[in-house]
Amino acid sequence: MPEEEWKRLVTIGRERLFPCIQCGKCTGGCPIALVCKTFNVRRILNEVLYTEGEEVAHNKDYLWNCSACGTCMSRCPKGVDPMEMVLTLRSVLVEDGEIPAKVRDVLKSIDVRKNPWGMGKDSRTDWTRGLEVKNIADAEVLYYVCCTPAFDQRLQKVPRAIVKAFNKGGVNFGILGLEEVCCGNEIKRLGDLWNFEALREKNLENFKKYPIKQIVVTSPHCYNSFIHDYPGLDVEVKHYTQKIDELLTEGRLAFTGEFTKKVAFHDPCFLGKHNQVFDEPRRILQRVPGLNYVEFDRCRERSLCCEGGGGRMWIEAFDAKDRTANLRVREAIDLGVEVIATSCPFCLLTLEDAIKIGRYEERLKVMDIMEIIDLVLN
Amino acid sequence: MLKKFDPNIMAFLCNWCSYAGADLTGTSHFHYPPNLKAIRVMCTGRINPLMVAAAFRHGADGVLISGCHPGECHYMEGNYLARRKIFVFRNLLEFVGINPERLQMSWVSASEGKKFSNVVKEITEKIKKLGPLTTFDE
Amino acid sequence: MKLGVYICHCGVNIKANVNVAKLTKFAEQLPRVRVARDYLYMCSEPGQQLIKKDIEEHGLDRVVVAACSPRMHEITFRKALRSAGLNPHCLEIANIREQCSWVHEDRMKATQKAQKLLAAAVSKAALLEPLEEKEVEVTPAALVVGGGIAGIQAALDIADTGYKVYLVEKEPSIGGHMIQLDKTFPTLDCSACILTPKMADVGNHPNIELFSYSEVVAVKGFVGNFEVTIKKKPRYIDETKCNACGQCAQYCSIEVPDSFNLNLSKRKCIYIPFPQSVPACYVIDPDHCRYLLTRDCTQCLEVCKQGTNAIDFTQKEELVEVKVGTIVIATGYDLFDVTTKPEYGYHLYDNVITGLEFERLSNASGPTTGEIIINGKKPKDVVFIQCVGSRDKTVGNEYCSRVCCMYTAKQAHLVREKLPQATITVFYMDVRAFGKGFEEFYDRVKQEGVKYRRGNPSEVYRRGDRLVVKAEDTLQGELVEVEADLVVLASGIIPNKQTAQIASLLKLSQSPDRFLLEAHPKLRPVDSASDGIFLAGCCQGPKDIPDSVAQASAAAAKSLIPLSTGKVIIQALTSFVQESDCRGCGFCVEACPFDAIELREVKRGRRVLEVASVNEVLCKGCGVCASVCLSGAIQQKSFADRQILSMVAALGEEYA
Repeated sequence: MPEEEWKRLVTIGRERLFPCIQCGKCTGGCPIALVCKTFNVRRILNEVLYTEGEEVAHNKDYLWNCSACGTCMSRCPKGVDPMEMVLTLRSVLVEDGEIPAKVRDVLKSIDVRKNPWGMGKDSRTDWTRGLEVKNIADAEVLYYVCCTPAFDQRLQKVPRAIVKAFNKGGVNFGILGLEEVCCGNEIKRLGDLWNFEALREKNLENFKKYPIKQIVVTSPHCYNSFIHDYPGLDVEVKHYTQKIDELLTEGRLAFTGEFTKKVAFHDPCFLGKHNQVFDEPRRILQRVPGLNYVEFDRCRERSLCCEGGGGRMWIEAFDAKDRTANLRVREAIDLGVEVIATSCPFCLLTLEDAIKIGRYEERLKVMDIMEIIDLVLN
Repeated sequence: MLKKFDPNIMAFLCNWCSYAGADLTGTSHFHYPPNLKAIRVMCTGRINPLMVAAAFRHGADGVLISGCHPGECHYMEGNYLARRKIFVFRNLLEFVGINPERLQMSWVSASEGKKFSNVVKEITEKIKKLGPLTTFDE
Repeated sequence: MKLGVYICHCGVNIKANVNVAKLTKFAEQLPRVRVARDYLYMCSEPGQQLIKKDIEEHGLDRVVVAACSPRMHEITFRKALRSAGLNPHCLEIANIREQCSWVHEDRMKATQKAQKLLAAAVSKAALLEPLEEKEVEVTPAALVVGGGIAGIQAALDIADTGYKVYLVEKEPSIGGHMIQLDKTFPTLDCSACILTPKMADVGNHPNIELFSYSEVVAVKGFVGNFEVTIKKKPRYIDETKCNACGQCAQYCSIEVPDSFNLNLSKRKCIYIPFPQSVPACYVIDPDHCRYLLTRDCTQCLEVCKQGTNAIDFTQKEELVEVKVGTIVIATGYDLFDVTTKPEYGYHLYDNVITGLEFERLSNASGPTTGEIIINGKKPKDVVFIQCVGSRDKTVGNEYCSRVCCMYTAKQAHLVREKLPQATITVFYMDVRAFGKGFEEFYDRVKQEGVKYRRGNPSEVYRRGDRLVVKAEDTLQGELVEVEADLVVLASGIIPNKQTAQIASLLKLSQSPDRFLLEAHPKLRPVDSASDGIFLAGCCQGPKDIPDSVAQASAAAAKSLIPLSTGKVIIQALTSFVQESDCRGCGFCVEACPFDAIELREVKRGRRVLEVASVNEVLCKGCGVCASVCLSGAIQQKSFADRQILSMVAALGEEYA
């Protein structure tokens, strides 16, 4: 199967580039091209069209710079997907062993530990300490946690808040516990189709084992993977913002506390640009009592990528001062917001870094929507 | 060696949409398998189940009926009439032991040359899988 | 019975993929075939002579031509038969080009298929009957739907020839989009100045009856005799009395967005779309009028009573029936909805506008009396973005809108003229300056210091109080951010919203781009597939003004052919009843979509029976009746059961 996948991408993929008219709308919107002049998807695409064979992928370190934000894909007037091409070229590099050391570590960790962070398998459920969480065997809705919030201490607040909210809302949910493995969204985008295939099989096997009616995920990356890369998965998948929005609309959940801050929402690419989930997070925030909601100028379809996707969490491509997340933080400062709200573990980490780099800790915080909800639910 | 099965497929195409669409397929040089041969009628509403039965009796392994999209019939509603007839007739086919999949219906407009070639490719593949129509107990 | 078979090489078009020699040999041994010949171009004069000579020498009474589609040359060969004294319906065509040689690669298999198609045609030909063609009188009038420049031109051309024209326009005034434009490219004529004389001509023409603020709601009949129902919406003002003095509007207290100025300004609830409107008559907006909504205001009525007393709140919607011989469709276009491209921020920023909005902004009768002012200021930096909604598969518009390159160049010129200090940047994918004087105009605009940068901008966003257009300059291969205070989106052209409705009303086809489909892309570009209905202007595809006018005149000329000959031949493929077989069940009467069949009493000895009877004038030859007849008594000429079944049988045979 990986073999077929590979062929699909390389042979049919090239055909799918034929309609390109080199208008440059892809590069014009590319957040990476802002910082890295050599990473010009339009030009790379032209080169791929001119060159027969796969060697075109070689000696292009900059291919690892792509954050898979999907802007190029969503803007192309001819329906070409330049991002898919970049990721396909990466898969050529992976197959030929031309892999940066850090990426190698990630792939190895996936192979051995089924998470990209090199964490011990047994610590996956550490975040649940002191909480009531059922196993999925006894529940209907699977809460699929994601490796990053499960292992990262800063992020563990998010799944904890989700569990509390779901319990309050009377959701009959459970987790896979130690059985959970990485969804593979980033692994596929790092070009390792082989490891991705193994993860997909394992996940599908897990999902089949239990009578699951719905899957709710923490991360937009898992959401994207299950929606687009899991043909044959016939269970409804929801991002937690969609689920919480539903609970609020149905009156099963209500905010009692106040959060009197000026807040803007940062659209995660894998929720917005890739999957057009724009309204639910905004509706939730606008329901929070006392919250003064404002909108970034660049929001929704024009949102600025934080550079945390496409495996970029593990690839330090540029100098820290050149990250696009810094731009985003400066926009927030100019707008006078006190909190950037988001709903993606990666966005949370990259924006928090950017706040530190800009020394704005006193004036600005980044919070997951769940952290805000946690404060107003009591 | 067994001779490879090369199905005989007959098509009834309405003059205004599907026959014109098939002509456009030709003008645009989109290729399709030569198994299908078309008979032109003015409207799919003209097609009598008798003709389909005759096609099977005379050696057709598959029959295609193609007309204007719903709501676009040149004669108001002939294509709806055809659709109803074909729907009923497919049941009858099943009853007499002919796989109703051998009778296909499609909507191809005068501007859908590419679609017509795809329709022919699909029905040819389908009939190839079903094999020759030899018995009446499929 | 003696058949002649004629196989065309069509140069190499057929010959390359079908073994013509083998096919001719095959034809010779088919039953009843007296002669079989092949020739380089059957449709050519010598080719037709070949057929005529054989008819005379061999006494042929049926002819089969194996060539291109009957949709191409059936008429040609029928004429040949007629001139040789044979009934033109004694012809059958085997389509071995479009449906054989052009679509199959394997020559052997294509030849086999051609044999089957030919055998089927020969077997049907043997059963063909000579048919009589009927002539009917033509109503000497035409209907033109749409009062933009195309409709105006077509109406004037037909009316000037002396025939009556009914011109139907859905808006309160004719003029279409052209009247909204400021200057026209590449000559910079004032659009209104060249259009209003034509509009006045329409209003004053003795042969033109103008139905403004009206829509076509039903069309019955066929070429020569269409019956059209027109819905007149109430203006609440008597057209014959109103002298457009405008007193009413001065007293009206309701202000609503002015759609003629694309909502960039306000107008009163009682209004005339623009000063030169034709008809020069006010109209009341029923969605906002206080009298019509709540009856609590009669300001306009009071003031008008002192003048011409034209206001009439009792007006009702009215249906009018007219009879015409031919129809010209000129329903025009709509602008692409740029909000579906959110990356350009049209829905967020007041200083991102569409090309048509720019026209109003630049026009002396527009909301700023022609000064380019946005948000109260004259812009310093203006950016134009081309191809918004054109050449864009993702919004379903794969085509080029054909006018945006030049209207952008013209607008860049207007900015240069009105704001000499401004920097002007045009972002383009390709500049298509293909018309007369276009390339020269493009050169001129570049000479005027307009910067053309190749690249399709990816997004527009705010920086401080200005806009930033971000793009890749693809010729430099570098990302650029161009600051602007005015961004103009060259929005493309899409078919008028009502195109689908018009298409289903008149049984016209739409091409995949949703514009109306012409009968033949090369040779019948103004005909629709339905006889007597012609296409003009942007309803058929994006066009500039000269092309619209040219097509409108062509459509007028085409529609004048039946009007001036006064007769049309109605197609002979009607149904007929074998009365002795009819048992009078009436199924065909029920099935006929055109009410062309009725039951009629006949005497059989002492008994009186009911049998079906076809009205050949109403019958359109679909054959639906024949498919529901239980006894096979009603049949369609040239498509009788036995004729079709003979083809089925022939296709079922295997030939060597």
